[in-house]
Amino acid sequence: MNENLHARSEKLIAQERIEGISLSERDWLAAHLRECHGCAQVAQQTNDALRTLRAMAIPLPRGLAERTRFRVQLRAQELREREPKRRLLWIMCAMSWGLGIATAPYIWRAFEWAGEHFGIPKLLWQMGFGLWWTIPALVAAVVVLMENVRLANENDQAR
Amino acid sequence: MADDTKALAQGLKRRDPQLLDQLIEQYQYRLFRYLLYLTSSRERAEDFFQETWIRVLERGHQYDGKYKFEAWLFRIARNLVIDWQRQKKMQSLDALTDPEEGAPKEFAALNEPSPLHLVLTAEEKTGVHASLDRIPTVYREVLVLRFQEELGLEEIAGVLAAPLSTVKSRLYRGLEALRGAMQGGPA
Repeated sequence: MNENLHARSEKLIAQERIEGISLSERDWLAAHLRECHGCAQVAQQTNDALRTLRAMAIPLPRGLAERTRFRVQLRAQELREREPKRRLLWIMCAMSWGLGIATAPYIWRAFEWAGEHFGIPKLLWQMGFGLWWTIPALVAAVVVLMENVRLANENDQAR
Repeated sequence: MADDTKALAQGLKRRDPQLLDQLIEQYQYRLFRYLLYLTSSRERAEDFFQETWIRVLERGHQYDGKYKFEAWLFRIARNLVIDWQRQKKMQSLDALTDPEEGAPKEFAALNEPSPLHLVLTAEEKTGVHASLDRIPTVYREVLVLRFQEELGLEEIAGVLAAPLSTVKSRLYRGLEALRGAMQGGPA
């Protein structure tokens, strides 16, 4: 029998189990396996191998699920306790940004007035205004970053 | 099924404790088995098992219910193992294990017994199961996901964060290795 037929047969045997094959390919394979003892053996070996893999049992460590549930509950409690703090942080950030936006025109005018009154160079008081605007956001970002670093450290220690 | 996964996604978003208990119960065996194949260590598999569920609690809001929950679960577990491997060896797990980039290597250190070896009974070690021990982990991982966990090819690609073609290629080679190992030949 042509070697190509055996190669095709072996490819289809694997393909059938991995991706599936078309009806015509299945018919062709079934006919070939009826005639070719070698390929039929390959198909049988593949079936046996997969059956063994599926049947392989691994004993589960005793109490693992209970220990995990306990840790998960503790962590859930921590997260619940931390939730109001985090929410407060975000509310404060939002209020700070909201107030910043609402008062920006007045503060700009105040900076402008102070600049003219005290003879501060324009660039300098404009930079001052920029800092006034960005500092709350920077503080919020630093706080969130520190919180995340602390959480990561906690996780590492827990592991 | 879509309704189930959506309900699951909503429950995870709420960090529903009952749901988490139920999921731990339901998936404990499958997750532990997968982790054991990846880590080659019972103790590490237990640690990662617990860590995976804590991640599920913390990042439950990221599960959108588009894919099977187990695919997402396995991906979390795999990422934890990869992070640990990177911290340990400062190397990518994929680079360590991708057979397309050279000879396939085991996830485990060479001097450690494989996970299968560790869990098999004395009787099994001398029997047909022992032959599975010789399959490179990178192939065994996809075989487990496909034929034990019965995940689809795209779901496996999602778990591995690898292209579909890589998954298929590993499955074909893995199946060949499995058959070879069962015959007592080279895996």
